[in-house]
Amino acid sequence: MATEAAVFEQEWVLPHRPAWWVTARRLAVRKPLGTFGLVVIVLLVVAAVGAPVLARYDPQQTFQRPDPNYAPGVFNPQALGPTMLDRTAEPSTAHWFGTDSSGRDTWSWVIWGARRSLGIGVGALAISIATGTLVGVVSAYFGGRVDMLLQRLMDALQVFPALLLLILIATYMEANIRNLILALGIVGISQVSRIVRGTVLSLREMPYVEAARVLGASDLRTMVHHILPNTAAPIIVVFTIGLGSVIIAEAGLSFLGLAPPGISWGQMLNEGRNFIRTSPWQAVFSGLAITLAVLAFNLAGDALRDILDPRLRT
Amino acid sequence: MQQYIAKRILLNIPVILLVVTVVFLVSHFRTDFAEQRAAQGFIGGMEFEQAVASIREELGTDKPLIEQYGRYLLDTARGDFGTSLVSQKPVVEEFRNRLGTSVELGILQILVGLVISIPIGVISAVRQDTWLDYILRFFAVLGLAVPSFYMATLLVLFGFNWFGWGPPTTTYRSFFENPSLNLQAMAVPALAGGFGMGAVIMRLLRSQLLEVLRQDYIRTAWAKGLRERAVIARHAMKNALIPVFTIVGLLVGTLFGGNVILESMFSLPGVAQFVVVSFKQNDLPMVQGIVLLVGIVLVMANIVVDISYAWLDPRIRYR
Repeated sequence: MATEAAVFEQEWVLPHRPAWWVTARRLAVRKPLGTFGLVVIVLLVVAAVGAPVLARYDPQQTFQRPDPNYAPGVFNPQALGPTMLDRTAEPSTAHWFGTDSSGRDTWSWVIWGARRSLGIGVGALAISIATGTLVGVVSAYFGGRVDMLLQRLMDALQVFPALLLLILIATYMEANIRNLILALGIVGISQVSRIVRGTVLSLREMPYVEAARVLGASDLRTMVHHILPNTAAPIIVVFTIGLGSVIIAEAGLSFLGLAPPGISWGQMLNEGRNFIRTSPWQAVFSGLAITLAVLAFNLAGDALRDILDPRLRT
Repeated sequence: MQQYIAKRILLNIPVILLVVTVVFLVSHFRTDFAEQRAAQGFIGGMEFEQAVASIREELGTDKPLIEQYGRYLLDTARGDFGTSLVSQKPVVEEFRNRLGTSVELGILQILVGLVISIPIGVISAVRQDTWLDYILRFFAVLGLAVPSFYMATLLVLFGFNWFGWGPPTTTYRSFFENPSLNLQAMAVPALAGGFGMGAVIMRLLRSQLLEVLRQDYIRTAWAKGLRERAVIARHAMKNALIPVFTIVGLLVGTLFGGNVILESMFSLPGVAQFVVVSFKQNDLPMVQGIVLLVGIVLVMANIVVDISYAWLDPRIRYR
């Protein structure tokens, strides 16, 4: 490791590593949009992790407000009690984003929705990346017929619009979150495998890989120790951008009512649509949450790609 | 060229076979949940177990997997994509009846996408790195992030608030029956789907145009003293648009995926909406048959796109 020693010896000439805030400021100046994306992602993670604290209310709690038509002692079939359900309320200090048609706090739903979106997104991408990387590495490393077969299989998977394949899988699976994650993960495999394959194809020709092979390293060892670590950069990029597409797909399925119910942005948007003219808050804020999350992952992914792996730039 | 066409077609035969296999595996590997769900819908005087058994018989899932696969391939090759459990009509017939609506929506979306993206892409490339370019690019990035169903929701909201207009709530009429009503129903989904597509096209067109504008023949055109309009429209656009047409072809699948939601939202009786309807009715052969048909159609569309790309840009043939 001659280069490492040289770097070590030179270190006294180099200025010490800049403080984190210097790095952060430099990033903000050079990649303003990427930094914006990163900040939003941090906020999303905070919301997802700290949902019980940040949500202010239990998302299932229904709120009441005084009923203006109620008068004690007077029978009125429209107002049977002193309070009524606080439905579709406007944003206020009590309910920052208003309430939904069942009198539940929209802010709490938006916050808890982040947990579902990110949780499902990370789970699905873990599956896509594990399988896609395996397929991509094997396909590119062995080439020939293996490559041909695997790539045609990936072509076949990629032909289907994501939502259509998801619906097909959902038809034959038990409806639960675990299967939803699995289905979303399967849909993402071809994309990951393609990018990993491209990277490995160029790595395979590198002198150091040839050196490893000449030294007698087995195929498995070459792949795991020499090739795989160098696919990390494109995988990080695919992970970031992929999260955006999984969030859209999950929101779409929930919107259609095809995903298992829960506290989901897509489902909120669909419910909010029914009273969009009188009280657009629920629909507007849940849709904004989806858009902001997807935008953040796209922007951060673009910036990461520029920084980590400029070759992937399109 | 013939050689290229033959090669493209041959290369895609295994893809079609694999498309059939993927749909087969998903729809036949583990069917008990689906059958039980379906049986609850079609119980009609039968015991539950009996209903499940009759559905299994109708679908042929009581036979060994290999036998089912052979039958599936044969049926598909003959153009038999199954029969609905609900309407008892062949999948192909139901597909054909709904295709027109989906195709019309798709064409409108492509038109909206092109009308928005071509001028914006050109302006953004020609005025590269000006504030105008930054603003237009920001909107394109935003357009990629906004889900089409949110865009459609907002369009309905603004349409109502600003113009007092909303999509018609009457039953759907085809374009030939009532063009005005039809286009009103199509307006919001066409715009919402077109925006997303426009964002993709705009980004591609901009990067292509930037590349083309740096080439020698463009410098020659400038040197001849041509006006900017002539250089861009007559010289640069011809080459920059080729990849754009390819991406339009490849986006047809994405468009269809998005229309699963948009058609359902606006009750447009197209193929994409019917997938959702069939899913909710537990019409297993219908969901599976339509997905397979769409898959095969899209593989063929890809072949056509590849061939037309090679025809427009002869360099491709020799790669």
